[in-house]
Amino acid sequence: MSEPFLECAALAVELRGRRIIDGVSLRAEAGQVVAIVGPNGAGKTTLLRALAGLIASTGELRIAGEDPRQASARANARRRAYGAQQPTSAWDYRVCDLGEIIGAPDAYADQLGSLDLSELASRRLSQLSGGEQKAAHLAMTFASLDEPYGALLLLDEPTASLDLARQTLVAATLRRFAQAGGTVIVATHDLTFARTCDAVLVLAEGRAIGLGVPSAALTPAVIAETWGASAQAEA
Amino acid sequence: MTATRATLAGLAGLAALVALALSVGAQGFGWGDGGAWALLRAPRVLAALAAGLALGVGGAAQQGVFRNPLADPGLTGVFGGALFGIAVLLGVAPETAWRHAWLLPAAAFAGALATSALLVVCGRGGSSARLLLTGLGLNAFTAAGTLVIASRSGESRELLTNGAYGDWLGMATLELTWMPILLCLAATLLLLPKARSLDLLAFGDDAARGFGTDVAGVRRDAVLLTALAAAAATCLVGQVAFIGLLAPHLARAIVGPRHAGVLPCSALLGAALLLAADTLGRGLWPQAPLSAAAVTAVIGAPLFIWIARGRHE
Repeated sequence: MSEPFLECAALAVELRGRRIIDGVSLRAEAGQVVAIVGPNGAGKTTLLRALAGLIASTGELRIAGEDPRQASARANARRRAYGAQQPTSAWDYRVCDLGEIIGAPDAYADQLGSLDLSELASRRLSQLSGGEQKAAHLAMTFASLDEPYGALLLLDEPTASLDLARQTLVAATLRRFAQAGGTVIVATHDLTFARTCDAVLVLAEGRAIGLGVPSAALTPAVIAETWGASAQAEA
Repeated sequence: MTATRATLAGLAGLAALVALALSVGAQGFGWGDGGAWALLRAPRVLAALAAGLALGVGGAAQQGVFRNPLADPGLTGVFGGALFGIAVLLGVAPETAWRHAWLLPAAAFAGALATSALLVVCGRGGSSARLLLTGLGLNAFTAAGTLVIASRSGESRELLTNGAYGDWLGMATLELTWMPILLCLAATLLLLPKARSLDLLAFGDDAARGFGTDVAGVRRDAVLLTALAAAAATCLVGQVAFIGLLAPHLARAIVGPRHAGVLPCSALLGAALLLAADTLGRGLWPQAPLSAAAVTAVIGAPLFIWIARGRHE
């Protein structure tokens, strides 16, 4: 087995005295797209934030051999990017401003193109639909990394609120990122998307109850246990 | 309009305003005295410009840090804290206070910093209600404290009362104002390079940290520098609200929301607004001049309500 790019073992997070993540272990290699799935409140967002080194956690955590909790925000930003579930902006920037703000206008313009947003570049964020705003923030997140090789993308519900065409574009972008040597971890409710990933981690009440290739992790039994019997029929 | 063109236009407008401000004497507008007294008025004009710069950029920085367009050091209690700091020093050691040029600014800074720290602890989270209610409490507490001290210290009573009404510009002399003027300029110049970090903060702490921003460091620096700007400006004018609210709003309308434009443009607009307010207050009613704070409140209060209403909707 090749060296994992991201590795965590017995990772735990407590927020306000409550244990949200409880002993999660995960390995992801360069070139992989990994989905974290689970019902509302399972801890997907918290796990993603912990993996990004944005919140305090205990247990082992290594990205490219280094612990992001020990590194500066600037050093972490060079090798991993984090995209929030519902990105917001306090000010009504123009879409094209976002590239200048992260200091990568050209890479951002390319990402706008790949997400079919180039025509909206001169608009204000408030003039976009929710899905378009989300896609613009995704382009910002993608463009903040110099190159996919040796980098990690951590995205919270990247396809939520996007129309079908843009969901496909985002999925293709993530796959290209992985093929170029990057690693992608996605928290998602979209089991159809999760089934296209290389590995799936099923999370329930902060614990990993399934991990492996989609066919092994998303078994009818796991789905019934995690989302209830009615979901099994849907899936 | 680009940031450069706006800056140039702003500088030209400011120069015209300075000429007008220097012309206003005991007879109102005009060079009736042949300009002989213009030099005597220069310290007042200089103090208004420096304080306005600090108020404008301080308001923009505070709005950036709190991600809230209603933040203004006047409304959030930071000016109140600065004046309270001055009042405490004047109440405790009225004679020592004037012995060194740095003592009053240091007392104002301590007061501004204390209120800023409380504001950060209690008023954070992006909610306007929480921020402004915390500011309301801080303003009420510091105003009461200042009045109590003023009522018990015979010599400083009038001085502190005038400070609470933002009416200190009239006593500006270079000897009294050089230190706060330098501090206003320093706070302004040190806040300008924070533009990109403030832009990144706009997307939330997680996103900003994700893009490599030292969020705690940026917030600490911006709060410290805003407190310094508020303290230095308070030493020059007394308490004056709304400049820190008005200037960034106008700046965003002119140069867009990016802080690389908003910070310098707010500074220039702050200087222009405060000087214009002081000049109007003196020029229109030369026999009974209105304080700069009174004039800015007349313009600023309706705008504040308008912005708050828009934000609610």
